[in-house]
Amino acid sequence: MKQVIDYIFISGVLLLTYRNLVAAIDKMFLIWQIAFPVVYIFVAGYAYSALIKDQGINVGALSITYVSFLTAGMIGFNVMNGSQIAGTIFWNDKRNGMFQQLLVMPFHKVQYVIANLITLIIIGLASAAVIMIIGLPTIFQDVNVTLWSVPYTILALVVGSVFFGSFTIILSTKMKSSEGYNVISNGLFLFFAFVSSAFYPAKGLPEPLSIAFYVNPLTYIVDITRAGIFSQIDVFTNIELVILSLLAAMVFLIATRAMIRMQV
Amino acid sequence: MSTMLNDSLSNEAFSLPRDRSEPCISVTNLKKQYGKDSAYTLNGVSFNVRYGTVFGFLGPNGAGKTTTLKILTTLLSPSSGSAQIFGKDLVKKQSEIKRRIGVVSQDPSFEANLTVEKALNLYGLLWGLRDSRARKDKVKEILKTFDLESIKNSKNDELSIGQRRRVQLAREFMHDMDLLFLDEPTVGLDPSARRMLLDYIKKHVMSGLTVFFTTHIMEEAEYLCDEIAIIDKGRIIAFDTPTGLRQKYVGVHKTIEITFKDILNQSFIDLLKRTVLRCRKKDGGNMDGYDHNRNDNTSDIEVKGTNTVVITVNDAEHVISKILQLVYKNDMQIESISINPPSLEEVFLSIVNNKDDDNSWDRELK
Repeated sequence: MKQVIDYIFISGVLLLTYRNLVAAIDKMFLIWQIAFPVVYIFVAGYAYSALIKDQGINVGALSITYVSFLTAGMIGFNVMNGSQIAGTIFWNDKRNGMFQQLLVMPFHKVQYVIANLITLIIIGLASAAVIMIIGLPTIFQDVNVTLWSVPYTILALVVGSVFFGSFTIILSTKMKSSEGYNVISNGLFLFFAFVSSAFYPAKGLPEPLSIAFYVNPLTYIVDITRAGIFSQIDVFTNIELVILSLLAAMVFLIATRAMIRMQV
Repeated sequence: MSTMLNDSLSNEAFSLPRDRSEPCISVTNLKKQYGKDSAYTLNGVSFNVRYGTVFGFLGPNGAGKTTTLKILTTLLSPSSGSAQIFGKDLVKKQSEIKRRIGVVSQDPSFEANLTVEKALNLYGLLWGLRDSRARKDKVKEILKTFDLESIKNSKNDELSIGQRRRVQLAREFMHDMDLLFLDEPTVGLDPSARRMLLDYIKKHVMSGLTVFFTTHIMEEAEYLCDEIAIIDKGRIIAFDTPTGLRQKYVGVHKTIEITFKDILNQSFIDLLKRTVLRCRKKDGGNMDGYDHNRNDNTSDIEVKGTNTVVITVNDAEHVISKILQLVYKNDMQIESISINPPSLEEVFLSIVNNKDDDNSWDRELK
């Protein structure tokens, strides 16, 4: 009996994920999801490199160029940027009446949350792969992937997606309008983006800023992604992964609870 | 993958109780309070809906219709009381129940990025229509039935409100169901689409579908419903068949409308009034039901224009024979004559306006 229930639950999640992929995602958003990091890598990456007379940045024991540093950072950053999909799907479904409609069909709110997160993970991983391929010429000389570092990086991206996707869902359930949601999420994501190691290393910063970096989960995602891409996994990145996983699990539970308690 | 997925949602996973003499929906003392200190939106609602019937759920704005509907479609939990659908507890067996119901809500719902055809196809898949060919055939049938072929390649975002509504209604018939909830389904539809929908529902009811129907349009309720409950301020204040409601709450009065070929003069109108008054006195002055407060003996005769009178009476056949005698004596000529029973709208207004004095349904429950 339990197996049947599990099966029905999982199949509902997969159906909703399929529905998200074919019906709920805006194509312009997908283009933006790729275009933004790529423009950043090729424009800001080379422009800043010239400005700071690139002397190399240390990742673990390795010294890499700023463009390599930024490209790997953009792959991690992309996870956070893509998490807005979860909020967009939710708000579009609410605006178009599909949220309520899906809930009177044989689907549960928990399935809806999980399907949104899986959608986000799929989009996040696919766009990370595309960014990696496009950005490969910039990091070619520094990349050093192993059989262990690839799943490690993927795990970091998945856990990061769960964290930011759940965070976005919590925001969506608490806000009364999509405009309010956009203002708050853009403001918070701006903080997450620039108070993180996505664009610059945390080492060497003034101490308060350095502490603020490590209050930000995006720093962990980006650090782990970089460590994976350049095979610089050490105890510190493992600790970061554990912290990130715990945070993601906690935020996921809060998001699920918020969704269940939300009045339709 | 879809084959595997849809097995879990197939209709075989759930069977209806064999005894269809049991109610399809059974609601007992349902209460809903949105906040601890707020008033009850539903305050002890009880009713049964039989299988294979259309149950009309009427009431003024804010009466509790949508709250009831949201509870029955599992979107809201009741504060207390119980509800069973297909003999299963609504709170404990939500998933099983949801697999056998369809819901067309009052608010529009659509997949903005998909064309009508693709949206129907996706909806079929979500409902467990596993075979892609069968699904395509079903989409074709629905497009034809609901006259959507000309807009099948249009995106939902590009449709008019009425077209979108038609797609929303059509979509619900992509899957098999035993109970359909319709919340003001004809809002935004033109008269022909409205009639088409009502007839389509009637056809499905004849083959066993049960329909829970809320509307503000009394003609629709009259056309479609087998039984009607009227809710106001969170309580059911009337429950019967449309005919039963008419008799119970408005009495047996009918409206006679006579149009004369000649222009009416005041002396003839006075004669008419006296004739009707004599008939009423013969009745014992009892016009029970349709207006208890009426003391003016002649106020149930209304002159419309220059040559039409509208008379509201209990014993229409008797009154009309007296009027015909009067007409003959006065050498008048009649162009047309009609006798009409009270409309459901009059019944509704009568019940809602008199609810404080006359809680008949409460008395019946006791």
